[in-house]
Amino acid sequence: MSLRRFFFSFPIFFTVFLLQEAFVTQMRLPAGGINLLLVVALIWAALSTPEIGALTGFGAGLMMDVSQTSPGPMGHWTLVLIVACYAIAFLGYGDDNIRGNPINIVFLTTIGVVAAQTVFLILGMMLGQEIGSVKQVLLVLAGSAFWTAIISPLILKVVSYFHAIIFGERSHI
Amino acid sequence: MRYGGDNRGRLLIIVLLVTSLFLITLDLRGVQVIDGLRTGTQTALTPVQKVGSWVVSPFRNFISDVTHLGRTQNQMEKLRAENDKLRLALQNRETADAQLKQLKGVLNLAGTAGYKVVNAKVISQGSSTSFTQTITIDAGTTSGIHTNMTVLSGYGLVGVVKYAYANSALVQLASDPAFKIGARIAGTQQIGILSGQGTRKGVLQLLDNTTQVRKGDALLARGSQNGRPFVPGVPIGEVTSVDNSPGAVTQTADVKFYSNFSTLGIVAVVVSGSSADPRDALVPPKPRPTPLPTVTIYATPGAVEPSPTSTPSPKTK
Repeated sequence: MSLRRFFFSFPIFFTVFLLQEAFVTQMRLPAGGINLLLVVALIWAALSTPEIGALTGFGAGLMMDVSQTSPGPMGHWTLVLIVACYAIAFLGYGDDNIRGNPINIVFLTTIGVVAAQTVFLILGMMLGQEIGSVKQVLLVLAGSAFWTAIISPLILKVVSYFHAIIFGERSHI
Repeated sequence: MRYGGDNRGRLLIIVLLVTSLFLITLDLRGVQVIDGLRTGTQTALTPVQKVGSWVVSPFRNFISDVTHLGRTQNQMEKLRAENDKLRLALQNRETADAQLKQLKGVLNLAGTAGYKVVNAKVISQGSSTSFTQTITIDAGTTSGIHTNMTVLSGYGLVGVVKYAYANSALVQLASDPAFKIGARIAGTQQIGILSGQGTRKGVLQLLDNTTQVRKGDALLARGSQNGRPFVPGVPIGEVTSVDNSPGAVTQTADVKFYSNFSTLGIVAVVVSGSSADPRDALVPPKPRPTPLPTVTIYATPGAVEPSPTSTPSPKTK
């Protein structure tokens, strides 16, 4: 049942993917900018059960992997996002203090984005990728945290609205 | 109630993790289907990105202006002065003028060296949240662009074509941490390896520790066999500082790239290098100091003191 509902979310993520590839990456925001798909996936996971969270991470990760700007092998982002989305969903599941409070979700998402990028980086290093200077890496991580903290509150209502349409009103904020 | 998980849930997680690891393994082993997936996605996305580039360009220009404004007081003063001059020009075909200028610079550079180039417009800049520095251009294999071709701007090296699709290509910028190029110093011909650092500055590692490198030295590409991935003689950047630490195995220097990667609009892909190495012909000319005008004033006894309304006349010293 919930698996079938999960597939209804595909058009939403595909739209976000198109927005990311066609518009967000071209804005050339300072300090590395934002990965909209990553943020939406983590918010979506924070509102879901751990299984749906992991599935969300799998779907969003696959989309990020097929993006031409992804430096790693296919499956690199998928692996990272499965773990990140599952962890976010697991932390929030059954605890209305977290799921019912937008500030907590924004906080979880921001931490999740930085953690996911850090894991992506470490995994990339293990797979032999170059990461550049430490200063630049820290700048990108700080920039991601900043932009996520700015963007998440703005899109949280929209994401929770679509999540509630698919999975029921319980997750509506 | 805290989530404890059940067997079905655990099985799902395991299946997903194994699938992702399977994908990584397949990709690292070079399975064609995976490459085809990325190529197909990019081919499908290219028209959308072109539309996006057109829609986002005013906003992107605004962000770029804000980002580069006021880093130092001097820059701000300079920008203010330039801003007045540019305002009039910006009202009329702002984007077209900028692109035309870049195109002219690229063609001048390529023409001097005798490179055969294909010009292209930058339609997307890769997200640096993945710790890479890339751009996408709107020309691909149908225009004769293939992987491992040098990409230039009007100022010098931009990067190298990493992937070429039918109507677009992904360019790895010289600032990418994974980017490396054999470079030589103009004039002295010392050689070294330049690496990107994720910013506009690169690090040059000289191969011979006894050679001398100075601040302000210009760097040029050494070139590769058959001109791919790099044609020889392309200006890369200028040495900004030298690390002469005693005991260091190799001498290193910081290099500032000539190209500003955040303002790229038009680039050129070198599809065929020149028959002869242009050597140092492409080194940008050093700014020449403007001579200060000297005014000599002779004292003339009995001359009338000039008043604000009178005609200017020689003044007594």
